Order: sequence, then C-alpha cells, then structure tokens
Amino acid sequence: MSEKKMQHAFRMTALAAALLAVYGSAFAAEGLVLEENSVAIGIGNWSNDRPQGGIYDGMRDSGAYGLLDADISKRDDATGTWLGLKARNFGVDDREIEAEWLRQGDIGVSLEYSRIPRDNPYIYNTGVQGIGTTTLRVPTPSIAVGSGANVELGTVRDRITAKFYKNLGVGLNLNVSFRNEDKDGTRAWSRGGAPEFAVEPINSTTRQLEAILSYARDRWQLSGGYYGTSYDNANGLVVTSLTSLAAATTYNLSLPLSTKSHEFFLNGGYDFTPTTRGTFKMSYSTATQDEPIPTSTYPGLVWPSAAQAPSPLAPRNLDGQLDTTLVEAGLTARPMPKLSVVANLRYRDFADKTPVQGIVFTGATPTVYNTPFSYTNKTGKLEATYRLPQSYSLLGGYEYKGQDRQVPIVGTLWVPFRQKLDESTYRVQLSKSMSETVNGRLAYVHSKRDGSSYVLPGDPFEDAINPLNIADRKRDKIRAMVDWSPTEKLGFQFAIEDAKDDYSGQGPYGLQDGSAKLYAIDANYAVNSDWQINAWYSRDETEANEITQQSATVTKYNDLRETGDSFGVGVRGKVSGKLKLGGDVEQFRSVNKYKQTLAGGTLAATLVPTPDITNTMLRIKLFAQYALNKSSDLRFSVIHEKWSTGDWSWLLFPPSGATAFTYGTTTDGTTVLTDPQQSSTFLGIRYIYRFN
Amino acid sequence: MNKNSVLRWLLSIVVAPVLAGGLLINPGNANAQSSAAPGPEVCQNCHADAVKLFAGSKHGTKADKRTPVNAGGCVVCHGDATAHVKAGGGKGVGGMLGLSTKSVPAETINKTCLGCHQADPSRLHWQASVHASQDVACTSCHKVHTSHDDVRDKITQPDVCFTCHKEQRVQINKPSRHPVLEGKVSCADCHNVHGNNPKQMAKSSVVETCYQCHMEKRGPFVHNHQPVTEDCSICHQPHGSTIASMLKSRPPFLCQDCHASSGHPIQNAGVPTARSTSPGVLGTVARGCLNCHTNIHGSNSTQNSATSGRFRR
Repeated sequence: MSEKKMQHAFRMTALAAALLAVYGSAFAAEGLVLEENSVAIGIGNWSNDRPQGGIYDGMRDSGAYGLLDADISKRDDATGTWLGLKARNFGVDDREIEAEWLRQGDIGVSLEYSRIPRDNPYIYNTGVQGIGTTTLRVPTPSIAVGSGANVELGTVRDRITAKFYKNLGVGLNLNVSFRNEDKDGTRAWSRGGAPEFAVEPINSTTRQLEAILSYARDRWQLSGGYYGTSYDNANGLVVTSLTSLAAATTYNLSLPLSTKSHEFFLNGGYDFTPTTRGTFKMSYSTATQDEPIPTSTYPGLVWPSAAQAPSPLAPRNLDGQLDTTLVEAGLTARPMPKLSVVANLRYRDFADKTPVQGIVFTGATPTVYNTPFSYTNKTGKLEATYRLPQSYSLLGGYEYKGQDRQVPIVGTLWVPFRQKLDESTYRVQLSKSMSETVNGRLAYVHSKRDGSSYVLPGDPFEDAINPLNIADRKRDKIRAMVDWSPTEKLGFQFAIEDAKDDYSGQGPYGLQDGSAKLYAIDANYAVNSDWQINAWYSRDETEANEITQQSATVTKYNDLRETGDSFGVGVRGKVSGKLKLGGDVEQFRSVNKYKQTLAGGTLAATLVPTPDITNTMLRIKLFAQYALNKSSDLRFSVIHEKWSTGDWSWLLFPPSGATAFTYGTTTDGTTVLTDPQQSSTFLGIRYIYRFN
Repeated sequence: MNKNSVLRWLLSIVVAPVLAGGLLINPGNANAQSSAAPGPEVCQNCHADAVKLFAGSKHGTKADKRTPVNAGGCVVCHGDATAHVKAGGGKGVGGMLGLSTKSVPAETINKTCLGCHQADPSRLHWQASVHASQDVACTSCHKVHTSHDDVRDKITQPDVCFTCHKEQRVQINKPSRHPVLEGKVSCADCHNVHGNNPKQMAKSSVVETCYQCHMEKRGPFVHNHQPVTEDCSICHQPHGSTIASMLKSRPPFLCQDCHASSGHPIQNAGVPTARSTSPGVLGTVARGCLNCHTNIHGSNSTQNSATSGRFRR
C-alpha cells in the first residue's frame, strides 16, 4: 500500500479558474447554485431506486421530491447590517437552513440547522429481533433464506450550529460557536462472539463549544480560547443471544462510552519586519472517560459461563484520561530579495494517563490489562525558496520527524512494537510562474523512516512481520504539473504523480512495497463569449505487495492492484439572451485485482479465488434555463445515473453460481441483498424568482 | 530517539533561530496609498461591474470603518491609479496591481489581503502553510468582485480544490466516501487551507480532526486498538475508496499488514462456496475480519475471557 497524498498542491492558475467557470458545480448532486437573493421552488422525480447514488442525498427511493432552495442576503447601507437566509434541499431529507444577522464590524449571530442522512445501500432480509434496541435475539434454528423481514439500516445526524461574533474594541474580537449534533439510527454490526448478524443502535449526542478571543495590532496578532467537547452515548451495552436464550449463546457487546474534553489554546504571530514573521502555537487538552463500565456494573447480565463473568477485581470505572500538549514555533523570512525561508519546530505529546489495571483474571492474578497508548511527536522543518531569473524558482526543504512510542510492559503483545521512529524527508522543486503561456512545477520528494529495535510478541509468525505503521520505509515521489495556454481561448493542464514505497524491518513479512501513479489532463476551450467547453481525463494506478507466512512450508504472496479511468466533459452556453444550456458527462471506472499466490499450499475447497472487481459510475447531467422575464426563470434538469459493480463482498460462490451472502449455518439466516446494476433518471423543473 | 536523530532535531532547532537573527534587519516594502488617488467614482467609468459588486460586498460596507471603501476604495488593493487614469487606462498601465498570478507574484497579492485578514485566527500561520510555499495566491481560490465566492460555498468549494487536487477529484467519486458531492461535508471541514497543521488539517492532528464528527472513536477504551489513537489514515482513505468504510485495503489484506498470528489471522483470501461460521473462511467476505472483531476501534468489555482484548465484544 502506498500513500499518495499530494502534500504540495499546485497553485490555481488562470486556466484552472477558467476550468472552474466552465465546471460550475458539476460535482454537486443536482448542480443548482442559486444566485444571491433568489428563491427556487419545483418538483423532481427519480425513475428508480438509487441505493448507491442516494446514500447521502435523501433521495434513495424512486418517486417525486419537492425542491425548495433560497438564498437571501440584504444589507442596510446606513448601519452595515446584513440579514441572510439560506435554505437548501428543503424538500428532501438532507435539508439545511441558515439564518444570519450581522452588524458588520460590530456584532453578529447565526443559526444553522443541517440534516445529514446516511442510508445503508443494502437490504437485510433477517429474522433478528430487537433491531434498533439494546437487546437482540438471533434466530435458532436459522430462518429459511429469504423468509425474514426486509430491513433497511441508516443513520441521521441532526446538527444545529450557533455562532456569535462581537467586536470589543480596535483589533479585539470575540468569536463563539456551539454545535449540537444528535445522531440516531442503526448500523450493520456483528455479534462478535460468532459471525452472525447484529445491529448497533445509534443514539448519541456530540456537542462542541469554541470561544476565541483574538487581538491584533499593526505587527502582532494573538488569539486564545477554549474548545470543549462532549460525547454522550445513550446506550452502553447491547445484549445479544440466540432465541433459545441459552446462557452460552449470550454475548454482551460493549459500546463507546460518554466522554468529554477541555482544551485551552494560544496562538500568535509577530512581524519583526515586513518580510520576517515569527509565529507560535500552544495548546493543552484533556479528555476523560469516567463512566461506569456496563459489563462490570449492569445488574443481571448473563454470561456464557460463570468463569467469563467479569472478575470482581476488574475495574468498574476506567478513569480514562488523555492529555495532549502542543507547542510550536515558526519563522518565515526573506533574508535576501530572492530568498525566502520557512522554519518550524513542533512538539506534540499525546499522553494516555489512564491507569493500567487488570481486566481479566485467573484467580487473583491479572492476565489481560487495559491498553493505554502514549506517543510524542517532534518535528523540525526548514525550507528555502530561491527566485531564479525568468520567474523560475527553486525550492529545497528538509523535515525531520521523531516519534517516541509507548510499549506495553504488562500483558500480551499482539503485534511487534517499536519505541522510536525517525523519519527524514528531503524535497526539491523547480517552478515556473507568471507566464501568459506556460506555468508549472516539477517536484521530487524522498523520505526514509527507521527506528529502534522491535519489541516482539513471542509468536513465531507475528515476530516476523513489520507492521505497516512502524516498518522501515523509503518513499520516493515525483510530481509534475504544467499549465499551457497556447491561445487565449484554449488551455491545457497536465499532471503526473508517481510515488513508490519500499518497506522493510526486522522480519521478512508484511507489506513489502507499494506504488501510486496519477496521470491527468484537463482542457478548456472558450468557443466564444457565450460558449465554453471543457474535458478531462484521469488515470490512477495503485499497487501493493504483501507476504504472509502461513506455516513453515507455506507462504502467501499478495499482489493487490487498482486501476481507475475517469473522464468528464462539460458544456455551458447561451443560445439567446433568454436561454442558457449546459451539460456534463462523467464516468468513473475502477478495476481491483487481488492476485494471491500460495507457495507450498493450495486454497481450501470451501473457498474460491477472489475475482476482479469492476465498478463503473456514469452520470449525465443536462439543464436548460429560460428567462421568463427579468426576475424569473424556469429551469429544467435531467440527470441520468448508472452504477454497476462486481463487488463480491456480499456474495457466496457455490458451484451453481453466485448467491447473496447469508449469515450462519444452523443459526441466523440473515441474507444481505445488494443491487449491482442500478440505473435511474431524474427529471426536475424549478421556478426561480430573483429580487433585489 | 537515537543519537543521530537527536542531533538532527537539535540541528533544526539551532538553525531556525540563527536564521531568524539574520533576517530581522530586512526592510519591508509596504504599499503606501495616496489619499489623493482616484476612488471608485472614477474607476466605475471603466470598471462598472467590478465597482458595483464591490459596493454591494462586505468590502464595500461603509458602516464598517475597517473596510477598503473607507480607506480609499479600489486603491487599497489595486494601488494608486493616478498614473493609470492619466494614461487613459489599460491592462497593467500605470502600475496597477491586477491581482492575477500571471502578472503579480503570489506573495505580493497575499500581502495585500493579509494586511487586513492576517488577524483571523485561522490565518495566523498562512506564511508557513504549504499553499503559501507553493505560491498559491488568495485570488487563486477566492473571487472578490462577485456576490458568490465559490470556495466559500460548501456545494462549489470542492470544484475549486479539484482544479489542483486531481487525485481527490477521482477519489471523491468512489463508492465509499464522505458526502462531499452532496455539500454536507466540505474540504474546509477537515482542512484549514490557510494554516500549517500537518496535512493542513483543521485541528492539530488527523485524529482530532476526525473526532469532530466521529467522537465515539476517541476513547479511551478498556481495550484500545493502537492505530486508532495515532492516525485514522493508517487504515482509512478519507477522500474515498472502492472498499467499504473508506478502507485503504480490503480485509484480510489490510489486517494482515500488521497481524500474522498463527491460525485464522493468516488465512487465505477467498469467497466461500457456502454458508459458514468458520472464522477461517469469513475474513474476506461480508465485513471481513470485522465479522467477529466487530468493535475494531476499541472495546469496553471486561468479560473475563483471555480473548476479551480482541475487539470482539
């Protein structure tokens, strides 16, 4: 596996801006972005269900949906007072509305409500009882396949955000924000003690309060404040059993417990000279979890056996505490007219101060402990850019990351640990800017990570693996991007990224290497002042090679590959003063290959090799907007979506052909129904009214 | 930390202040504005649309004494237009600052904006940001003379970011993703593009950023899964993935990058030919390893079982 993060973005050029103008909101679900001071009302209809396309937009099911959007912003010139109201998707489940009152430069408040639905795209035909509650009963014997009730799972987040702003004097401002989010619903889960279907009931509230006092004068700026959070889970435990209610089949599944945190922070900057600036950050936070542990404190719980009931010596409260300290200092400067420098030092300490306690006991002897994990990161960075003639520039940088990591001193290690990690990254980049025709950059990044010797678990197989997050790693990346505008009307943008990781360590097993490549080309053509066309194509390739030791004589080699081909075409234009037309076509196709080679072994007869997976998504969007008069338009929209997947995650492959995955053998019988071929068309009409 | 790494860290500590000392003497080049420079009433003769939009914007609000309109109008950002007007106008004539990166260095453009906007707590560290070092100008992303700045709208913001971030343009259309296309999560919800946090995260680390919406993963748990408290992106690709739960790789492959204990953890990948309850054949399909290890982010069970630390309950 290889991370192919683009840590250094290329600046957006004039071409990119032009592309954006053509794109508009091509990626937005329906593509309508209202002009300020307008209201749109209409109706739309999806022809078929959209389990994949409708995961988040509240329009999973076929049928008609009301469409109501508004964007209103008014200013009283005399007092500088703004009144704003934005409403989006008010006819569907992912609605949101925001109201704002602001006396600019003095005081302001805003209130926003937003709903985020998430509908699981699958249908669960199940006999499990108690879904949505904290008591689940799994059928025994198994229900006949397909004889259960069809259940759809999903969550809804209802979020309210309030913000307050007050200017307290010259350069002195107070900003306060508060967010309350209720999350309710259900999530596909498992019964833990056995691979059977279960559903996690979701009923939690997250609150975040931030207050920032900032003060700025000519040369310096300071901001400090408080950030507090709380997470309240209404459920602490789910009791599951077979319908036989046999004690041995009772599994008590824990849930995340309520937590809270408090953070204080202070940031600042000072301009020593117009080209030399120093900055700092400091923060300290503490998060606590001091809830009674349900498995230790809930009365009347049934356990598979008396011996598995929590020991009276086990804690009834974790007394969990996580403290985070951040200190950072930075300097940016231009010591010479052509040389600019960035230097930065960062220290971040994450201290898990939860006391280590025995959790599982044999008699009075603890055998399993809780597992607090602490680490400290220290980073130093120095980067210099030298301006060359003809608007070229050369950047060179060095960054060091050191990490101290906690290694458990009691209990069982399940994976190798390391106490220290060190990583050095070198960066060089050549850029060309400020040209009317060709701009771009070419960058090369090399990094090397190693660390202290491994602390091994003592398992002959586990001892020989290098966990991917602590393994030695060499990483090389090349990135190039060029903007070329041969004429004022025509522009191209080319991007290439190539990254390669090599992993190693104390043992020969685990992730060996990974690579990631990206090729992209964008083109934009302004036919005339009324018509613009753009097109783009991207190809992305990733590969990872792994080796797993299965026995003294059997070794498994995995070659995992994903290739993606994506393209888009967009057109925007004016047919006349009254009629605007536009359209976008986008297709995203990916192919995943899982090549597994068993040296010295064979695949069990109960398994078949994992087939390749191809996913294809096609989206065609067309619109026509006709001006009825100076203040109102009619807009017609057509969207066609097509989704196709060869994902076998929820399939079984008997010799007779693929069938839906079914949980259990003698118990459960929940069948998971997917829809690998989905196609739906949306027709919508809106009346848009604009006002001053 | 070994001796070499300590030396390297100390070196970077030492180098920065030394450089700082040498840099303090460099004079600045602040733009001084002439109080007699032509104002918007002159500019609108040729730039009527821009002046109209400016007048109706936050920058053009006269009741707020901090705004450009109260400090001379157009000249505050574009420079003294005296020579420009005298010459009869024209692109770049008279030394006007066009605020386009094709003609003006990004640093110059940004200095103009930061003169007022540096004080925003999210922009205190702009000069040390990755975007600044890549010569991204404020005007590369922001539109000033408009009633709708695309990058400040959750629906249109990703389009702005995708003009440079091509990889994310592809990833965000993969089947397992955040609701970015629907405008429910924006790039700026997770990234402070004006700041210098690692990966330009909105909070000081990846995990703290993710906890804003996924606080149930914060713990501490009785049994912690160590990567969870360190960096969510060890296992997840937050911009989108072809694998459920935005995983970087599919179980059992992902899990086997760290776990290799004998028995079912080192099982082969494969699709079962029939219904099964065997952990040895269910690590690939359905929820993969999570078919049993269902509380993979952490467990609070105190069940008195030797396997209670394996996130199954």
